[in-house]
Amino acid sequence: MSEILAVRNVVKVFDSVRAVDGVSFTVRRGTITGLLGRNGAGKTTTIRMITGIFMPDSGSIEWRNLAAGGAAVRDRIGYLPEERGLYKQMKLVELLLFLAEIKGKRPAEMRPNIDRWLERFELTDKRDAKVEELSKGNQQKVQLIATLLHDPDLIILDEPQSGLDPVNMVLVRNLLRELKEEGRTILLSTHMMGEAEKMADEIVLIHRGKVVLEGSLESVRESFGHNTLHLDYDGDGSFLADLPQVARATIDNHGAELTLGDSGDPQKILEVAMGRLRIRRFELGAPSLEEIFIEKVGIETLAAEEALR
Amino acid sequence: MNKMWAVLKREYLQAVRKKMFIVMTFLMPVLMVALFFIPSLLMVRGLGTKNVVVLDGTGELREAFLRGNASAAKKSGLSGGSQLPNLISVSYIDRRGDMALPLTAKPYLERMTQGDKRQKVDGVLLIPGEALVNPAAVLTFYSRSATDFLTQEKLTSMANRGLQRLRLAERGLSSDDVSRIMTSVKVDAVQLSKTGQKKKGGAESFMVGFMLTALLLIPSFVYGLEIMRGIIQEKTDRVVEILVSSMSSSQLLIGKIFGVALVGLTQIGVWLLLAGGAATFAAATASFAGFDVLQFLHPSFFVYFVVFFVLAYLTYVCAYAIGGAACNSEREAQQLIMPITMFMMLPWFLMAAIITNPDSTLTVAFSLSPVFGPLTMFVRTLVGDPPMTHVLLSIAISLVTVSVLLWITTKIFRVGILSYGKRPTIPELWRWIKVA
Repeated sequence: MSEILAVRNVVKVFDSVRAVDGVSFTVRRGTITGLLGRNGAGKTTTIRMITGIFMPDSGSIEWRNLAAGGAAVRDRIGYLPEERGLYKQMKLVELLLFLAEIKGKRPAEMRPNIDRWLERFELTDKRDAKVEELSKGNQQKVQLIATLLHDPDLIILDEPQSGLDPVNMVLVRNLLRELKEEGRTILLSTHMMGEAEKMADEIVLIHRGKVVLEGSLESVRESFGHNTLHLDYDGDGSFLADLPQVARATIDNHGAELTLGDSGDPQKILEVAMGRLRIRRFELGAPSLEEIFIEKVGIETLAAEEALR
Repeated sequence: MNKMWAVLKREYLQAVRKKMFIVMTFLMPVLMVALFFIPSLLMVRGLGTKNVVVLDGTGELREAFLRGNASAAKKSGLSGGSQLPNLISVSYIDRRGDMALPLTAKPYLERMTQGDKRQKVDGVLLIPGEALVNPAAVLTFYSRSATDFLTQEKLTSMANRGLQRLRLAERGLSSDDVSRIMTSVKVDAVQLSKTGQKKKGGAESFMVGFMLTALLLIPSFVYGLEIMRGIIQEKTDRVVEILVSSMSSSQLLIGKIFGVALVGLTQIGVWLLLAGGAATFAAATASFAGFDVLQFLHPSFFVYFVVFFVLAYLTYVCAYAIGGAACNSEREAQQLIMPITMFMMLPWFLMAAIITNPDSTLTVAFSLSPVFGPLTMFVRTLVGDPPMTHVLLSIAISLVTVSVLLWITTKIFRVGILSYGKRPTIPELWRWIKVA
């Protein structure tokens, strides 16, 4: 599959903070690329450079086969910013027409498109309502429509799940899959690793303005081996972290993800666990993105950063 | 270009549909007319009558005060309105030979501060007996308000004229001769311009000049403020990120500025139509507050008004756009740009001097300077007769100024519109200009 976007060694410095410090990655047509990292890692700044809101201090954003010329590229992108916002005083239809118009579309051509989207999101009866009169969930839907209305080739979503109610969350997830099937390219920025794991084909992991990991989800997980135990159980599993063969553990309420040390034997751990817990799932496999992230960045660094916050 | 147009269209349609716009468009002329007519109305209704007691130690001035008062009353018809109405009702008391006037005055002075309203006294004038013979004699005027200089001036002039009459009569002149000597000549102010057209000058011109200038200035600031609010609103509503990812920040800014400019022009267009209508009506009824308004509503006036409004607006709006882009609340923005707008308003603070001296060096310098040019030159075309080269030069200078200001504003706008931190200082703004 061909590249649609290549980010080459971009740097952005605010005051003395290197928000983005030499980030490079590519986005291939027809894939969902997950831009991952914690809050403040530099994801939004990277996206703002891609969308042309900021100019990189150095490095370049290169477009392939999207469209020629800066202005036209803009029109082929659909962008959902992390900070959502719409003109609250405007009527829904007027707002959408305006947003399509600034993407270079003729208002007249857009009307059927708008009607279709409104129907799909069950907003047809609200078309003449002012944005501020809509419920929060409906405003989120409008924001999504605004992102997709002009049939963009590249869809950039910055933390699309933030602030979404569960119903809309599912709606977004299904929508993204559908768009991918249509051949659209999606760049998805998120700090929720689990979400990325469900959606992304490719991942780009950013930490403190630098890419620490890049590749397809499969290959990344593959490279981190199969020494991770996924356990679901009833009972108090906190003792699992203290087992000698466990190098690192992430314990939830009713589950645990255990990274085994070199001498770790899954069977032994199962034995011990069965003695004290009621096991519902036991699986040996590749680590989750969360674990990969922690291993890659280093637990000490993360703890130190946490303390600084 | 299409994107700029989309922004412009949105700004315009959203603004003119607001109730506030419609109300302002039709209320403002009413307010202006009210400002013009209410003083005259007050005069007719006699709301300004002052009760003054004159204690005359010479006993000779009765006639002077009664005559002076009558002529003042006659003049108080519906005219101009450059002076506030000031009718004086004089109670003349002959105290010939009274050597202790202050003592005599005491009960009257008490009536100034107390007592019932029907017997209210607003002022007391004491004329000492020696006033006729001693040129150094001093008259004393007691009044309740120190600022009531108009009443004081009228009384003083009545007293002085009376005294002058008596002094002339003492030298053996007949009362006819005295009257002839004392008659003052009326001055009719007519302004002549090179094109040979005549304008009536005087206080009325001054008032109308002031009003029309305000009519040009107020919308410039109102719509500047509107831009600032709009930008801050877009920041707080967080729409701005979608906007600047879809177009360049200069497309956005220019679209906004010109969209709002059209709103202002629409409003002013309505006002000018109303003014034209009113003037035609006034011309038909042959009198409009006692003078000819049409001398101002010459076709060239409409052109100048629109041209200088646009230039003034574009100059001022830059300050507001910078304020809006750099700050997150209206209050912060107002603080940041207050010094800038104050400076820009300088010609307005000097308006009295500019209107009365449209050809002075100061006025000419102002009218040909950046920033102050549009407002000052408009006044010059209104009340003076500037050479066409000056007018064109002023317009050219303003166009250059506006281009430079817009360029700077775009730069600050670009950086500022996405900054949500604390309000930048002026040096920081300077850095933004260099960065962008």
